[in-house]
Amino acid sequence: MNFAKRFTIRSTAAAMLGLALGGTGLMASHAANAGEVTIWAWDPNFNIAIMQEAAKRYTAKNPGVTFKIMDMAKADVEQKLQTTLASGVTKTLPDIVLVEDYNAPKYLRSFPGAFEPLSGKVDHKAFANYKVNLMTMGGKVYGLPFDTGTTGMYYRSDLIKQAGFSDKDMQNITWDRYLEIGKQVEAKTGKKMFAMDPQDIASIRIMMQSAGRWYFDKDGKLDIKNNPALKAALETQVKFMQTGVYKPTSGWGEWVGALNKGDVASVITGVWITGSVKAEASQSGKWAVAATPRLNVPGATNASNLGGSSWYVLSSGKEKAAAVDFLNQIYAKDVDFYQTILQSRGAVGSLLASRGGKAYSEADPFFGGDKVWQKFSDWMGKVPSVNYGIYTAEGDAAVAAQLPGLAQGMPVEKALENIHNQLASQIK
Amino acid sequence: MAPKPTTSYRRFYDVNGWLFVSIALGLIGVFMAFPIVHSLWMSLHAGQGTVVEFVGVGNIVRLASDPVFLKALQNTCIFLVIQVPIMLLLALVMASCLNMPNLRFRGLLRTAVFLPCVTSLVAYSVVFKSMFSYDGLVNHALAWLGLIAEPIPWLNDPFWSKVVIIIAITWRWTGYNMIFYLAAMQNIDKSIYEAARIDGISAYRRFVSITIPNLKPVILFTTVTSTIGTLQLFDEPMNITTVGTVFSDNTLTLSMYIYNLSFKFVPNFGYAATVSYVIVLLVAALAAIQFYAARERN
Repeated sequence: MNFAKRFTIRSTAAAMLGLALGGTGLMASHAANAGEVTIWAWDPNFNIAIMQEAAKRYTAKNPGVTFKIMDMAKADVEQKLQTTLASGVTKTLPDIVLVEDYNAPKYLRSFPGAFEPLSGKVDHKAFANYKVNLMTMGGKVYGLPFDTGTTGMYYRSDLIKQAGFSDKDMQNITWDRYLEIGKQVEAKTGKKMFAMDPQDIASIRIMMQSAGRWYFDKDGKLDIKNNPALKAALETQVKFMQTGVYKPTSGWGEWVGALNKGDVASVITGVWITGSVKAEASQSGKWAVAATPRLNVPGATNASNLGGSSWYVLSSGKEKAAAVDFLNQIYAKDVDFYQTILQSRGAVGSLLASRGGKAYSEADPFFGGDKVWQKFSDWMGKVPSVNYGIYTAEGDAAVAAQLPGLAQGMPVEKALENIHNQLASQIK
Repeated sequence: MAPKPTTSYRRFYDVNGWLFVSIALGLIGVFMAFPIVHSLWMSLHAGQGTVVEFVGVGNIVRLASDPVFLKALQNTCIFLVIQVPIMLLLALVMASCLNMPNLRFRGLLRTAVFLPCVTSLVAYSVVFKSMFSYDGLVNHALAWLGLIAEPIPWLNDPFWSKVVIIIAITWRWTGYNMIFYLAAMQNIDKSIYEAARIDGISAYRRFVSITIPNLKPVILFTTVTSTIGTLQLFDEPMNITTVGTVFSDNTLTLSMYIYNLSFKFVPNFGYAATVSYVIVLLVAALAAIQFYAARERN
């Protein structure tokens, strides 16, 4: 095919597409007024509400800038972002988008040039190190670290006492000890120690990261077969499944329901669960918080992370400069803002300076007068940094695929080999 | 030599004809032909997101050694082989029952059987999910009847989760197929049945030797459409047995794998396109086999 011919075909196709999309383009250009920063995020009670608070603070000082905060389901934000970036039509993209931390490296790698590097514009040293590391690519830092998923162990101190343990027994324990306590709790109180979906790999992620390991090593190479943390995590998961120390649930609603109905004595997950735990007011004073259990492997700590997200500025955005300044002024500097969102929304930000604020040292009567925020911010500084790589979703799927086999007695070595093979075939 | 007015008259109508269909043709070109050709071109590429390179048949080679693809193919085939025959047989029996002339409340019963397929896919999936959950209605009912001691992990177990999906799609689509059978049965000449009855042929024989042969083209049609539907199965496994962020491996279908490759995993649209073409080829091959098996042999 010669060039002229190819050109004709291309331009005809473009013209046809242009005709079809003309209407949408016109609408989009009308929607974005001068000085309007568009933002995509999910969760109206958390991210959206926090962004509205941030926007309010910024417009008070910069009346020229307005904000359009669009609330969508998390899957919709991800899908819209991914398809639009892939299509190359950047007109409909927002200026700022919320990205879950596990997905960030994938987007940065798959769509080079789509996101604006913020190094030099924002002081990233002010944030938790492990959050900054995962948004660094090729020496440049993209994005602005937002909420953390620092994990902790929430437990019912009344049930634990009934089983013959004190609050002291719950501090800085190992997973094996946790399992022993769980067995006692069930024997004495008839309640299960925790609720879990047998297919969910959240606990494996928590265990792995607490030991500073992931599916990939620091260079992004597969780290499965000789990964002691993953091996120990799978072994622990097998123990859970075989001793039946947990209440099986499926889906978020049932899982949170188990906590609120008082069916289980504990939950180990990210700090973002606090709001859901506190939702059952009748259990006020009965809950307490302790550090995440640790694995019996070298480098294991009592701090980990699950989930969390960060703000990213799109390079194609019209209001790019305003967007960067906004994030820098509020999210990277305004300590008072972090006190507000902690108190109103339970959001633990990853700006290290925010930990010095008053709200962080306040006692919470729901947790028996414990200074829970202080604890979480201390753990946040201890979370080991790992390289999530770009294939975390593939890794999760590979691990989840082996769980039914493990429950039926498959050796852990064999499962590790299967995970390695599946991942190796997916990473091309 | 043809008279001149006729030629220009014809040409006039030809141009008009083309003008009339041009909008439709343009739309078909943009929204059908172009995506099909482009996806074929895409299937020769692989990479991450917009960072792609030409790999030729590399994606097809990758298919052969991809355990997830093989698992998805296996699951899809299990659904196909077990669910489609059960559903079509059930639809046939139901249609024949509802076709009985002396049946009471016929209209009501027909509506009841057809009703599932006008319900929203997501709505019924959510109901099934709650019914089959660990604390759900089904486990409670079975425990109350004394059939089980421990609740069955319907949605988590590799075996039971497939059973739930099969129950769900059978519930939804049996009535749809039944309507085709019912319509076809009403076209069969009643005198054939009368003659058979006079000859003392049993009801079962009448069903096997008169009804089924007369329904052959419709049975072929429903088999082909059900095969296509099952090969594209997505909504039910996605909404009923998917948990959290990871799709359950137990009920992963080819369509869900395509979704994973495009939106959940590192976006690899080229490889996803290749898997889509696997479905196309499977549909084509199975339809051809079904047409061949049901051909007229005279």
